[in-house]
Amino acid sequence: MNATGPIPNAMSTATATGRLHYANLRARSLSTAKLRLVWVVLGFAFFALTAFVRIGQLGMASQSPDHGAAGDALVPPRAELTDRNGVPLGRAFPSYSLWFNPRALGAKGQPLVKTADEVARALVQIFPAEDYADLLAKLKADKPTYLRRRVLPEDANKVFALGEPALEFPRETQRFYPQGSLAAHVLGYVDADGKGKLGMEEFLNTRLLDPAHRAEPVALSIDSRAQGAMEDELAHEMLVTHALGAAGIVLDVDTGEVIALASLPSFDPNRSDLADNNHVKNRATNEVYELGSTFKPFTVASAIDAGVITDMAVRYPARDLKIDGFTIHDHKDYGATLNVPEALIHSSNIVTAQIADKLGGQKLRDTMIALGMNQRANIELPAKGFPIWPKGNWPRLRTMTVGFGHGLAVTPLHLAQGYAALVNGGIWRPATLFKVDPGHAAEGHRVFQASTSARMRQLLRLIVVKGTGKSAEAGGYRVGGKTGTAEKAGSNGAGYKNKHSVIATFAAAFPMDKPRYVVIAMLDQPQATQSTSGQRTAAWNAAPVVGRVVPRIGPLLGVVPDGKRDVDVSDLTPLVANGEGE
Amino acid sequence: MNMTARRLRSMGWVATLVVCAALVMVLAFRVNALRSQVHRSQARIIALRQETMYLETEFETRANQQQLKSWNDVEFGYVAPAATQYLDNERELVSYAKPVEPGAPAPIRVASTDDQVAAAAVFPAMVSPLTGKPPTDSTDTLAVPTATLTRVHAGNNAVRTDAAVGGGTVAALGLASLNERLGTVHHSAHAVAAHKSAKAKDGKKLAKDTKARTKPTHSGDEALRSVSAGHSARHRDQSALRADLASADRRRRPYPGSAPIRLALKDVKAAK
Repeated sequence: MNATGPIPNAMSTATATGRLHYANLRARSLSTAKLRLVWVVLGFAFFALTAFVRIGQLGMASQSPDHGAAGDALVPPRAELTDRNGVPLGRAFPSYSLWFNPRALGAKGQPLVKTADEVARALVQIFPAEDYADLLAKLKADKPTYLRRRVLPEDANKVFALGEPALEFPRETQRFYPQGSLAAHVLGYVDADGKGKLGMEEFLNTRLLDPAHRAEPVALSIDSRAQGAMEDELAHEMLVTHALGAAGIVLDVDTGEVIALASLPSFDPNRSDLADNNHVKNRATNEVYELGSTFKPFTVASAIDAGVITDMAVRYPARDLKIDGFTIHDHKDYGATLNVPEALIHSSNIVTAQIADKLGGQKLRDTMIALGMNQRANIELPAKGFPIWPKGNWPRLRTMTVGFGHGLAVTPLHLAQGYAALVNGGIWRPATLFKVDPGHAAEGHRVFQASTSARMRQLLRLIVVKGTGKSAEAGGYRVGGKTGTAEKAGSNGAGYKNKHSVIATFAAAFPMDKPRYVVIAMLDQPQATQSTSGQRTAAWNAAPVVGRVVPRIGPLLGVVPDGKRDVDVSDLTPLVANGEGE
Repeated sequence: MNMTARRLRSMGWVATLVVCAALVMVLAFRVNALRSQVHRSQARIIALRQETMYLETEFETRANQQQLKSWNDVEFGYVAPAATQYLDNERELVSYAKPVEPGAPAPIRVASTDDQVAAAAVFPAMVSPLTGKPPTDSTDTLAVPTATLTRVHAGNNAVRTDAAVGGGTVAALGLASLNERLGTVHHSAHAVAAHKSAKAKDGKKLAKDTKARTKPTHSGDEALRSVSAGHSARHRDQSALRADLASADRRRRPYPGSAPIRLALKDVKAAK
């Protein structure tokens, strides 16, 4: 540089010396550095933020296995039904079905390797219940369809061995009842569209499908062991007496829980396609019957309560009673007079009619209304029969006939609830099929005084010890009860023409010193057979059922037999002579 | 130089950034790996639970009430237990125990060197319900018989005992050591007692034995009670029975006594 010469143009010294250049450079460098720093900081901040967000996401938003997709996988599409001890009665179960897919071997050509006839024949061999013609029609139809809704794994293996690719086994979640036909009328079934039909499946349909509650099983009041014993004994008695049907109930007298409810003949809820028949009728809650002499204790209790019967030793005439052109007679002649314990022991219609007459129609009617005999049974099941209830004020004859269990038709469940009130101290409670937690029993209403109930416990026990209920005696269980054999009325008010067509019932409770359970056994049209000694009355068919059921279910339900304990009937025993009745 | 240092520094920052990013990635990968493990475990849990459900359902189906009933009908034939098969309490259970009879095998006893330990385990002495003290005088519930001829009322039976029997009794009591009272070995006792022709020498020896091994206060009373106890089972050998019951009684009630032992020992001497 020439430092001494004149400056050629008007350039500043700073420019000329390059200081400005450096200053600019410095400023630029500084800003670049700042910018880079900002980027670095931003980068760090970004990563830090990402990391924090990720940590936060993992820590907080991540779902625990029980509530996420995995938890959902374990929730059944329809909630489980269990018995009171948690034994599954109905559950969603992925079972195999047999599906015919004609396109399995391609759209063209034959759908089956063998002929349709051969395949149908082989399938009938595996499933003997299937209809050959029906299967053949389905196999020839060239249309995808179910051949069978439910197939056992071993049967599926056999079908697989046929070597037909068109026969497929999709696994579908269906309603499955592990106990088979046990308690079928209580449970009901689920139809092909997944809708609950009959029983608790229908009543609880919404609850069972509710996503919020599907995971929790619904506990019913049924005890599957007691139910099994009841069904078993009823089925046995039905067979030996050639009865048309049978019904049985075990009811907790203090809570109203239905421990067993059987109606025979039954159906298999696993075969919902076959459930559309007569067997789905629930004889225990849907069919109404005139239950005959089992109503006599209600009349007597009502009379004791009303002060009509004050002395058990008072004797009533026991000769045929003519009233309004109608003769009331007994099973056989028991002598000129009978007192109340004898009338119950011999099951005298004549004496009970007189007691009902003295009591009056209004009071008997009030008692029956208090026992819920004028309305549908109080239970969750959709199938509830309406009683045949005599309208208006009852005339004298109607009062008398209702007094011994005719002219008023109710379901066996009505009877069970009535007996529960009779023996539990006088409180009537609605029956329920839900398990009741201790101390949460439904509030009932008083029908009989506690003293009346105590007296009835004695009388019912006496019937089993000395009267018609002898065959219901189960050692140590202190069973008490009343037989009832009612002739069936003909259809359309045809009257009681057929003496051989009867409803035999035994209504019992045990243990009588502190009743826990009411047991009802009813047989529809039992025949006189050799095994019942040529008799068709309840003492020979229904009472023995109770006598066999009680020892089987008693210990399971917490009643320990004790031969040294019993209800004290010593004040009544001197009043009665031994005898028989219907 | 400056530039280089600055560049180095910024490169350092970038490197740090890269390292951090790599660490974050590593973390993310590890988290993902763990997550997929959890998912796998979940899937396995679901599969196992479903398998459990299948098996449980299959079990319930194969063992349903109707199936069990048909098995019972064909195979087992079980019936509901009768009232007599239920027991209320331990007392009722004990009532079924077989009474100890002569000739019954000896129960197994554990050897003990210290009698004091065993003594502590002996049943508490019977006390009078009125005074709360052990009965000592002859007016107590257990009537004290006379020495040679004793008439004891036990139920409706009166049992006569004589000196010879008394000797046998003492022989029985000779074995009434503390161990005897705790255990239930009787056969040796009635073997001696039942042997009516047992020599008085034996009786004396045993009486001496008694003196040596037990306190006289105990033995004397036991001797008397052994006499008083033989009231039932007339068909059995009287002395054997007495000895048997005596030892049973001894087990039940260690009973302090005083004077009668001397009388009993006198009997032994007289027999000799």
